[in-house]
Amino acid sequence: MHTLGFEAIGTQWSLSTAVPLAPDTQAAVADLVDSYDRTYSRFRSDSTVARMAEAAGSWKLPASAAPLLTLFDTLQRLTGGAVNPLVGRSLEVLGYDAAYSFQPSGPPAPAAAWAETVSWTADARGTMLTTAAPVTFDIGAAGKGQLVDLVSALLADAGHREYVVDAGSDLRHAGAAPLRVALEHPYDTTRAIGVVSLSDRALCASAVNRRHWGDGLHHVLDARTGSPVDTVAATWVLAADAMTADGLATALFFTEPRELVREFAFDYVRMFTDGRADYSPAMAGVLFP
Amino acid sequence: MNRASKSLLCAAAGLSLLSAAGCAPGEDTADTDPAPAESPASSSASSPAESSAASSPDAAAGSGNYADGEYSGNGSYIPPSGTSEDVDVTLQLENGVVTELDVETSQKNPTSKQYQREFTSGVKEQVVGKSLDELDVDKVAGSSLTSQGFNRALDAIRSEATS
Repeated sequence: MHTLGFEAIGTQWSLSTAVPLAPDTQAAVADLVDSYDRTYSRFRSDSTVARMAEAAGSWKLPASAAPLLTLFDTLQRLTGGAVNPLVGRSLEVLGYDAAYSFQPSGPPAPAAAWAETVSWTADARGTMLTTAAPVTFDIGAAGKGQLVDLVSALLADAGHREYVVDAGSDLRHAGAAPLRVALEHPYDTTRAIGVVSLSDRALCASAVNRRHWGDGLHHVLDARTGSPVDTVAATWVLAADAMTADGLATALFFTEPRELVREFAFDYVRMFTDGRADYSPAMAGVLFP
Repeated sequence: MNRASKSLLCAAAGLSLLSAAGCAPGEDTADTDPAPAESPASSSASSPAESSAASSPDAAAGSGNYADGEYSGNGSYIPPSGTSEDVDVTLQLENGVVTELDVETSQKNPTSKQYQREFTSGVKEQVVGKSLDELDVDKVAGSSLTSQGFNRALDAIRSEATS
């Protein structure tokens, strides 16, 4: 396999392909990632999201925004509002802001209610999103997964049949040879709690052991309270696409799998901060005995 | 050593203010906090003005004279709520720079502290880890690696706390 590595959207990427990427494919990947970042990054001042934080208004987003917003609509409903991309403001209050100040500016702040603050419409030309107030979007719950899917689609369009797209351990695999993936122990990154076989699916993980900047301060917040969650330590979700897997990996911090299986097809492993784990039936045998 | 511990505590207590400020006010901590500081709080580090000044003269004067190793101390400080808080600080020093820092306060997120403790006692029965070195795997999936910006900012805060 040939591997191309780069850093983008705040994480380390690696694209592994059986056939090396042609220069124009590499350039297309770079353009795609840059364009996504320019739309959604809350860490750069020239992004669409940065302008949304300044004033209410209507914003034109790329066509890819529709599936992302559809997923967020569903997840915020199924989690009773715990998953909500407006949680960006809550993260800023706790110090995880564009300047990385890590300086809390007040007590935890709930995110603005999703359905009352944001509405959107989509057609073939793109997506129009209207905000009722200045908001700070953080699409971290599913955005990285979607970018993994978009990069994967680009590789497939360029003729690649065997590839692994890895964005900071959110993975999408295609090809004949399955990928053996260790599930990183959330409290000891030198160890794994199990191994899954990934084949023509996506695997996304979420855990609270990295991206923390103080005791109890980490990036998985309940949007209803603006406080970090403390009962789930790590989740892993396998689904057909990475956007769904990524979003469900976040949703499992807040809601029971039985609520999510009504509307999504996926497998999962979830580990709690007290050391227990639960998992979908297909994952029995994945965890070490 | 007493001098070193004290000034390190001053420096680190500045950081504990950061984390303590993020917690929900009025959380009931008395029954869940497993071990409030066993030794009495050091009063010298307890004023907010002193503890928030990461570069107190005392700390600055001592900078560079510390041996590598793990240091720990406990004390108290007064957060904006006005209620004195216990602070436990553990840090690793290498060449005068803090490489690891752990700050625990009596108020901040007592449940996570409790979970952490339960985790270490319950994990063996529940979820067993194997060393990644022993496993023949292609990839590891866990929390995403942190960005350079995030890490650089944390490094800056840590080194400021030691200066």
